[in-house]
Amino acid sequence: MARDLYCPIGLLAVAAGYYHAASGIGRSALADEIGATGLPMAYALALASIGLLMALQAILRRILGCAQAEPRIELSELIFMLHRAGGVLGIGISYLLIVTTVGYVIALIMVLAAMLVYLGERPSVRVALVSIGGACFFWVLFERFLGISMPELWGL
Amino acid sequence: MDIVYQVVALLLYTPLIFVAMAGVGWGILGGALPGISPSIAMALLLPLTYGMDPGLAIVLLASTYVGAEYGGSIPAILINTPGTNAAAATVLDGYEMQKQGRGGEALGISLYSGVLGGLFGLTMLILLTKQLSEVALAFTPMAYFSLGVLGLSVIVSLSGESLLKGFAAALLGLMVATVGSDPISGVSRFTYDQPELLDGIAPILVMVGLFAVSELLRQASVPVWDKPMGEGARLKLPDGPMRRRLIKPQLLGSVIGTVEGVMPGAGGTIASFMSYNEARRWSKNKDEFGKGSPEGVAAPETANNTVAATALVPVLSFGIPGSNSAAILLGGLLVHGLLPGPRLFEENSGIVIGLYTGLFVATLSLLALGMLILPVCLWLVKRPKAYLMAFIYVLVFSGIYSIDQSLFDLGLVLGAGIVGFFMRLAGFPFLPAVLGVVLGYLVESNFRRSLVLSGGDHTIFLEDPISLGLLIVAGIFIIGSLSARMWAGWRSLRGGSASGSV
Repeated sequence: MARDLYCPIGLLAVAAGYYHAASGIGRSALADEIGATGLPMAYALALASIGLLMALQAILRRILGCAQAEPRIELSELIFMLHRAGGVLGIGISYLLIVTTVGYVIALIMVLAAMLVYLGERPSVRVALVSIGGACFFWVLFERFLGISMPELWGL
Repeated sequence: MDIVYQVVALLLYTPLIFVAMAGVGWGILGGALPGISPSIAMALLLPLTYGMDPGLAIVLLASTYVGAEYGGSIPAILINTPGTNAAAATVLDGYEMQKQGRGGEALGISLYSGVLGGLFGLTMLILLTKQLSEVALAFTPMAYFSLGVLGLSVIVSLSGESLLKGFAAALLGLMVATVGSDPISGVSRFTYDQPELLDGIAPILVMVGLFAVSELLRQASVPVWDKPMGEGARLKLPDGPMRRRLIKPQLLGSVIGTVEGVMPGAGGTIASFMSYNEARRWSKNKDEFGKGSPEGVAAPETANNTVAATALVPVLSFGIPGSNSAAILLGGLLVHGLLPGPRLFEENSGIVIGLYTGLFVATLSLLALGMLILPVCLWLVKRPKAYLMAFIYVLVFSGIYSIDQSLFDLGLVLGAGIVGFFMRLAGFPFLPAVLGVVLGYLVESNFRRSLVLSGGDHTIFLEDPISLGLLIVAGIFIIGSLSARMWAGWRSLRGGSASGSV
């Protein structure tokens, strides 16, 4: 299935999910005429309408034989992009999971080193030094200079 | 004549110059770090001001505000990450210029326009505080709703190739803005028992996710790791012809920034987006917008920095803080026993004159400090891409965590990054989504407040003269942008058929 049909399906799914969630919002005695659900439901319906219009547009394009205006992404290229992006995202999620345990500085060293290696740098003393130096720089900037309390080692 | 002597004496008063420059330097740093908003930069300084001379304390806070509002444009241009909400419109052409190796030129234009905007705003603040304050007081919930609609009307021209995708992106932004407590009844919406969501999702989280994280995710699959980004870029202030070219967008930015600045709650975001839109509308080089137009950088930057000065009108005149930053400045005034209002100008005229003089010094300091700091920033972004990306990633982690010391916020940013990555793949524009997030609460809360006031009568929006005027302007904007799009489409079709026939 082509991208011009993926988009409307995605929008319709978001609209349906959001509408469903909006319909579960509690009522209040203080509510006005529109209520807490009024605009969210209207937004969901508007998004669904746009999704339908886009689907119609895509179908008409196919019937009339018009070329898709946007560049097409090959499946192999898409899989490669998702794979590479997934790695970066995984490093970010790992940071979230470890930072409260190992503390800000060590977590930053690990993220910097992991990113550098993931993006093609060979593991080396230089990578290690840049990661340690970078983490120390950020610690000095945020913790010492700006006075922001960052996660400490073992959550201390 | 006394005032002139006072101003000259203040201009030669070393502590005031030092404090103004220190405030600007601190503000630029705060604004340039995503997450350290102008208000956080000011709040961090507030305890330091307790023991200071009241006049100097206020100058320090106001200079920080000026510096931070400017500083937001630096990461917007260099790494596609707006440091402040108002810098979001600068991303569009600023980052395009950076990608073309013209980052130094973009930074020079933003600095030059920022200084001009700041000086214009300061002039308006000094000359028109009384008149402008009356505009601020005349704003009703209906007018605020219409102002939000006017801001959203820009979506039509920010939608890129597909209007439907632009509208869809804006709706997604509006949906994000509904998360949190309902503005009228206080009922929780889409919070799923997460206390972090009760106050809603801060626009900066969405912006950093959409722009910065999604760009990192996309760049991860570009297999050229050792090539520096933005080669050959050096800080370049606009030359004569360029300065002449920028006059129109700067004028538009100054006027829009002045009007928007005095409205509490409107802020620099609407002003910068509207200025961008109008600069494009009136430009001879419309096609360059979105592809690295200098005017596309100048207009929002002028507006943003004009707002930084004129936003002080409601604070000084009535003690109405229109933003978090203004609230902290108000706090600074109150800490030193200075009550805003007409009496501030009568009983503490020395403080007010000192503030104006300090802001003048701060605005000029922007130029001097910018010339010092920006080459360093340009050098930093010319590092090999792997290093640059790794450091941007940890800058995002550190900056976002510093807002509320919340890992939940970091998770939201990563989530917004994933959404942004897929939006990029599907060709959805980001700026309508950002506008939706920023303006969603303003539009909904004032729409519903107005209807509560009118007992459900929708004609109330047409009965309020300011509201009616703003709605008419919004209508003209929308019709004008739609006509321009249809005309451009028709021309390209005609061109296509003409070339096809040859």
